[in-house]
Amino acid sequence: MVLLFERLGSFFDIVLGLATHPESLAILFGSVLLGIIFGAMPGLTSTLGVALLTALTYSMDTNLAMVCLLSIYVGGTYGGSYASILINIPGTAASAATALDGYPLACKGEGGRAIGLTTTASAIGTIISMLFVVSISPIISRFALQFTSFEFFLLAFFGILISGTLTSPDLVIKGWIAGFLGLFLACIGRDQLQFYPRFTYGFAELESGIEVVPVLIGAFGIPQIIGVLKDKVHIGKAKELQRILPEFGTVLKNIPAIVRSALIGVGIGSVPGIGEDIAGWVSYGTAKNTSKHPETFGKGELQGVIASETANNACVGGAMIPLLNLGIPGSPPAAMLLGALMLHGVTPGPMITFEHPTFILEVAAILLLASVAMWITGMVLAKQVVKVLKIPTQIFMPIIGMLCIIGSYSLGLNIFNLYLMLPVGIICYFLTEMGYPIAPLVIGVILGPMADENIRRALMVSQGSFMPVFTRPVSLILFLIIVWTIASQLPWYKRKIAQLKQSFFKKK
Amino acid sequence: MKKILLISLAMVFALAPGVWAGKAFPSRNITAAVVWGAGGGTDTCVRIITAEMQQFLGVNINVINKTGGVAGSIGMSHAFGQKHDGYTLCGLSESNVTAGVQGGWDKKFDVWDTFIVGGSPDVLSVTADSPYKTIQDLIEAAKKDPKSIKAAASGAGSIHHLNLLAVENGSGAKFNFIPYKGSAPAQNAAMTGEVNVVITSLAEQQQLLRGGKLRALGMLIPNSFDVADLGTIPSAFDAYPGLSKYLPISQAIGFAVPADVPADVKAVLVDAFKKGMATEKVKTWAKENYYQLSGKTGAESKAVFDALESNFAWTLWDLGAATIDPASLGIPKP
Repeated sequence: MVLLFERLGSFFDIVLGLATHPESLAILFGSVLLGIIFGAMPGLTSTLGVALLTALTYSMDTNLAMVCLLSIYVGGTYGGSYASILINIPGTAASAATALDGYPLACKGEGGRAIGLTTTASAIGTIISMLFVVSISPIISRFALQFTSFEFFLLAFFGILISGTLTSPDLVIKGWIAGFLGLFLACIGRDQLQFYPRFTYGFAELESGIEVVPVLIGAFGIPQIIGVLKDKVHIGKAKELQRILPEFGTVLKNIPAIVRSALIGVGIGSVPGIGEDIAGWVSYGTAKNTSKHPETFGKGELQGVIASETANNACVGGAMIPLLNLGIPGSPPAAMLLGALMLHGVTPGPMITFEHPTFILEVAAILLLASVAMWITGMVLAKQVVKVLKIPTQIFMPIIGMLCIIGSYSLGLNIFNLYLMLPVGIICYFLTEMGYPIAPLVIGVILGPMADENIRRALMVSQGSFMPVFTRPVSLILFLIIVWTIASQLPWYKRKIAQLKQSFFKKK
Repeated sequence: MKKILLISLAMVFALAPGVWAGKAFPSRNITAAVVWGAGGGTDTCVRIITAEMQQFLGVNINVINKTGGVAGSIGMSHAFGQKHDGYTLCGLSESNVTAGVQGGWDKKFDVWDTFIVGGSPDVLSVTADSPYKTIQDLIEAAKKDPKSIKAAASGAGSIHHLNLLAVENGSGAKFNFIPYKGSAPAQNAAMTGEVNVVITSLAEQQQLLRGGKLRALGMLIPNSFDVADLGTIPSAFDAYPGLSKYLPISQAIGFAVPADVPADVKAVLVDAFKKGMATEKVKTWAKENYYQLSGKTGAESKAVFDALESNFAWTLWDLGAATIDPASLGIPKP
């Protein structure tokens, strides 16, 4: 107990130290803002932001470099929601689930309210995850060690499946088909295990596989641009002088949802190798399934927006847990962070508490400050950002189109990405017209390599046997959830449930 | 319009120092293009050495990252496409020698003149609760029941995989090779118990070894290695002298310039490099990070890279993972 208080004491010392240091404060706010911009621009992701700043922070002191990198990570994860809510093009894959309800809210003229609430929820989510980093991270990292190749495969597969289930406007199978299209795209390139080229047809550009960012931009951006211009949709019926700061009562009412989403985010973030994108979907799915009125989801439900945005920000803290305790990054931006730490001579791992005793507390303190900075910046920005909806679509959409092109190209300054983005976008436009949701396709591209690599490796390890799926507790649970997700969509299952309900009520 | 353009062009040339005068190298800043990502082993190494070298050269060396392509081919093509005047260095590592046989690079690797900073030696480890206490226990068990013991390393054809193959060839044991997407996931798999054995570099593994999460059985280099609060890790060669025929296959991280860079320019770079390698800062960094310094240049480093290229290229070809026949690039068999 005394130890805990001592820890808390030194934690607040560090927080105060950072908060009263002008240079670190300037870096804190600057990086959060930069992160938000990176997140909000389709094509620039928090992974890219952390990667770019890693090189810039090389000459900085380790602490300041960490302030810079963690702030851009937190800001970038949050910033994705702007583009999702306001233009229906997720700024990052992590906020793809946010668009489902965020955009309808913006169309109703409640964009500002949605942003205000997600900002608050994101900040709370980050802080909750920070608490886990300080308190029980060794226990969580032990839980993360339950994940072997079979579990990783099942988790990736579940991620694709759930996004398919949740996004289909009519038939669920269409969502799954879109998901499997994404899985197919993910197979292109050298396979990660044996390095064999697949579907490359001799194109050197395809060797390293399909880049996620151009697919993300093409798949969400182009159909949106064509759609809006064709139908002359008026997004910006925003009410004048709308309130950004959420009412205290609304926040309070949603606290259970926020805490639940934050827990999901921490849990998923702490599993090595998977990150914010899957956390957003799982949390959104949970919110919809446990809601008393699931039919309002997808039509502008505040809880949907809260669920995905809280979870993806809570994921940041979660991802720090295996990174700091085991030296294994919990998400793609965390992998960049690992590199940056090595550059500064800090090797995270089990020995970190001996070599750098206060390091974990420092990370937690930075996370706390970054979430506060994010909240303040977000509140100031939101009011201005909502104004983009007032720009006439005829002008706005071509600008978005330009941004899509620049965003795809800026990734490695590679012209091939444009050749990839345009066809993907046009195909996705027709898919949208036919009622196929696009999000599962993108999630398929993102999680495909993980699913593919892990199922093949799992079978190598078990020498071709599928038995470990049933004998390993975590994978059995995941397997049952997947079976239930599929079965609950089948007509006979729905009939059976209805029958059961009826007979139950009759007896009464 | 044309006139203005011409005049301004002339001004630029006139003002750019050293372009006309043919001043001694280096008269302006040097760029080092690293073909791997920021924060990775190669990036860190290049940043450390170039930071020291610039003191002796009197100009700055700006490090940039040009990643992507096949085995770093984009960065290499970029650096090779610049003027061969010594103002562009290419930060690279042993893994880049596979770009040729994988179709990303149409030249033999000796178009480069390499400067090797060093690398971290590979170590073979088992899970903390493993019944194998020594390298003999492990190898004998693997010989008794071939392919029953699962060994993790990063993907097929990676340096750690090559080390595993060399252990198999040198000791006669056969493992069930399980590839991972890099060293971190491979080490994670060892901790979860998914695999029994893992081979990565000491720099990557030291935290887990010292934290008691993994147990080192042997270094895959001829000499033993001292690790703080862990003691001495013996060389696997002590128990299996046959390994010396296939090992060591060590990392070779550093930078390169095109081989046809003028000899006097190269001499300046070699001099600064040797001086940089001798600084206290580089030595301390190497010790703290479990790197072995090399400092090889010219013919010495060419021999190292030739051996690596032939080993990597033919191993990949035999695995069916190469698209270009190494013979067609003139790479001799190991």
